[in-house]
Amino acid sequence: MFSYNFKYELKSLLRSKWLILLTIILLTLVLFAGYSGKKKVNKRVFDIEKANNTVKEQDIAVLKVLDSIEKGFVVNQNLRSLPTNPMNIGYSYPRVAAMYPLETAFISTGQSDLFTHYVQPKAYGDSFFFNHAEFSSPIQLLFGSFDLAFVIIYILPLIIIAFSYHIFSLEKENGSLKLMASQPISIYKWILQKTMLRFFVLSVIVVLVLTIAFIINNYNFVENLAEYLYFLLLTLTYILFWFTVVLLINIKVNNSAKNAVSLLAIWVFIILIIPAIIAQAANTFYPIPSRTKMITDVRALKDEVSKKQDKILDNFLRDHPEYASNKNQNYSFWHKYLASQDLVEDEVKPLIKSYETQLLKQQQWVKLWQYSSPAIILQQSFNDIAGTSTTHYQEYRSQVAKFSAKWRDFFVPLLYNNEKINTKLYKQLPTFEYKNPSYTSLLFKISIVLIMSVVFLLITRILFYNKSKKGTIIN
Amino acid sequence: MIFHVVKKELQETLRDGRFKISAAIVFVLLVVSLILTFNQYQYNNAQYIEAQKNERSLWEEQGEKNPHSAAHYGSYVFKPKSPLSLIDQGVEKYTGISIFLEAHNRNEAQFSNASDQTALSRFGELTPSFILLYILPLILILIGYDAYTKELEKGTFAILKSQGISNTKLLFGKWLSVLIPIVTITTLLFLFGGLILSNTSDIGVFNWEALGVLYIVYLIYYLILTNIVLFISLVTKKSGVALVSSLVFWVLACFITPKIASNIADSKYPYPTNQEFSKRVAEDRKKGLDGHNPWSEEAKKLEEEVLRKYNVDSVHKLPFNYSAYRMQKGEEYQAKVYAKHYSWLDEQAQKQENVYKSTSMISPFLPTRFLSMVISRTDYQSHRDFSEKAETYRVKTQEFLNGLTEKNSRYGERYVASANAWKKLPKFEYTPPPFSQILNSNTPMMLILIVWFAVTGAVLFFINKNH
Repeated sequence: MFSYNFKYELKSLLRSKWLILLTIILLTLVLFAGYSGKKKVNKRVFDIEKANNTVKEQDIAVLKVLDSIEKGFVVNQNLRSLPTNPMNIGYSYPRVAAMYPLETAFISTGQSDLFTHYVQPKAYGDSFFFNHAEFSSPIQLLFGSFDLAFVIIYILPLIIIAFSYHIFSLEKENGSLKLMASQPISIYKWILQKTMLRFFVLSVIVVLVLTIAFIINNYNFVENLAEYLYFLLLTLTYILFWFTVVLLINIKVNNSAKNAVSLLAIWVFIILIIPAIIAQAANTFYPIPSRTKMITDVRALKDEVSKKQDKILDNFLRDHPEYASNKNQNYSFWHKYLASQDLVEDEVKPLIKSYETQLLKQQQWVKLWQYSSPAIILQQSFNDIAGTSTTHYQEYRSQVAKFSAKWRDFFVPLLYNNEKINTKLYKQLPTFEYKNPSYTSLLFKISIVLIMSVVFLLITRILFYNKSKKGTIIN
Repeated sequence: MIFHVVKKELQETLRDGRFKISAAIVFVLLVVSLILTFNQYQYNNAQYIEAQKNERSLWEEQGEKNPHSAAHYGSYVFKPKSPLSLIDQGVEKYTGISIFLEAHNRNEAQFSNASDQTALSRFGELTPSFILLYILPLILILIGYDAYTKELEKGTFAILKSQGISNTKLLFGKWLSVLIPIVTITTLLFLFGGLILSNTSDIGVFNWEALGVLYIVYLIYYLILTNIVLFISLVTKKSGVALVSSLVFWVLACFITPKIASNIADSKYPYPTNQEFSKRVAEDRKKGLDGHNPWSEEAKKLEEEVLRKYNVDSVHKLPFNYSAYRMQKGEEYQAKVYAKHYSWLDEQAQKQENVYKSTSMISPFLPTRFLSMVISRTDYQSHRDFSEKAETYRVKTQEFLNGLTEKNSRYGERYVASANAWKKLPKFEYTPPPFSQILNSNTPMMLILIVWFAVTGAVLFFINKNH
């Protein structure tokens, strides 16, 4: 009986126009989303490369000058800006601390439109205070981007709802259900098979379309196979989830128009309202301390420090006797600055930390409550896979802060020991490499969505048998 | 006759369980969102007032100092919250709240809320505007999708016609009955919001006029949607199809078009990266006078010029402190460089805005979204206005500080201003442009919205006549 049912449904699916319509809609949406995602990623790489090239050109020029000086030639350059002075290098020739996109970055824009992807920390300036904000039109941020994550999370459920909201109720309304009931197959099994067939067909289309988008974007399947598979698996479980919801509503409500309304209400709740409520709750329970207060505090502190700079330098030299050896050295702006900067950063650390911990707490909260809506689970996982999540940018910020301190520290002994930069030292300048944080188990998240679907199926089954006992399924 | 239609339809809507549940949910959401935004508003306002007070006292109590050191010490200015941000927070989440004003550099507003929140906040926020823009249209669709199809399905259309009602009158009755519940909810919200705003003491310049215009914009938005929903109900035969079609329209108008528009705007007129922009500025700055660098060619040129003008042979003999004069000239040059680059950025924003305007032809959501932000003064333009005025103030501050040194000391002297010098700098007071001006510059958007209403209304009317 299964094969009859399967054949019939497949034939009627193939004959109706909706399969073609569905494929066309999905293909257009996915290709456009993949294309614009890739375009953003390309721009990101291009910008970083451009900055890198500028640094490379500078390096060649500086090495040339250093080489000439070492060989005893006279160089035609302002004495103040000679590259042999360590602080000139520390201030004017910063490295690029870049966050290269992952190969999967085109999947989800995530937070990548908010933050910058490369900075150039200098020896002067606060490592903790880096402006990581990207220059982008706020309207664009408000509307968000049309990426694959959007198509899958927002649009795919709507497509499922639009094409299957009356998968059961239509049979009842057309009168074919009574005919079905006279056949030697249980109605429940039949409708389950019918739904699963649709799930299967849609899954095949989605997998195909997504794979095409990946291929067009030159995705390296060999190296990043796991990410690709996780991405597909997440999408498929999400589709399954929505089909079980559709089935449940069909059995529970069993009236085409009312089905559509109920399904839509569920869509609004899962995708719009629940995330908004959880985000709002995160902000209410773990509010980020006032940034305006931070600004005034940091400035007051710096003011205080700058008044005591000479004393701070004395203390610094007492703490670092290795630098104090040079008795008749003239202490410059840089000596005072570097000595006091350490102090400022130590003092400010707890304040800065309070922002990071509060944001971490918010993320913990979201991590806990993401299970209230598969849409949140999916968005979080997609951001994780794409390397565009809040965690990724937080990690980048802290790595940059560390690098910035490392960069400054590189010049401190050189400055205090009155050493000059030479070609050998120049080649030893610290460089930055961004390390991706590992993401939390995606399999666990996938199984949670699966469990949700199974629970819905069970509820549907119970509902169905209760209703058929009362005889309200067919009539 | 119209009255009877309206009465019957309204009664039916009110009896419908689905409407009751969704109306209750929307009402709860609206109240919650209003309370949330109001709390947030008060919190931000308190912060703003405190920060501004602190900031000024920090500035005034700098003690004896060289004016240029004070210029480097700088000051922060804070953007006041607009009262109507209670209804629509617009892009405020993405634009910063404070701008640091210092010598030589123009800084961007820093610390937007969005960067301090998790990625979840990108899903949307529970604010009144979210409900007004997305959820109420959905309720409207729920009420109206079967206005005509149900008559066909139940076979009551012929009976209805036999009562002697004209097509136009029937349409008008249906139209009103779809609109009345939505208008009631909106009116209540606006009245409530207005009462809150007019009864809170520390609110900026709140006027009922702006609130009224905002209300009218949303009303037109709902009128357009009613036209469209009824049109779909008229031309389709089945309720299910009508519902799905209306929903497709909703998704297209509210979600897909804005995102696609933003993708197009961004790829056609991209913004530079933060670093790229500062690099461009730095390159231009190198070409001109730098107040801290007396050895550059530009500096020497200026020196010759000044000496010739005052007919002296050394800067020591000038009647003012030449280094402060040079500092000011350098400042003026740098300000010009910034003005050039920022006006380029402004143009880019303008071009992007034009893309949004042209896509407004496809979606009535877009003009409503923009007008709502504009009237609430939470749009990008108001942010740019603030940033522009802060820059003017920064330039004036530098003039004031360099002037102190220039007038009160001679070349080569290190001038230290007295402790009470800082009080003489005028305070930064931000006055937003008047409401009429905002409205005038946005008449095209308003027109687009009205055209949407007129066209959809006309189409509905003629389709109905020949039905």
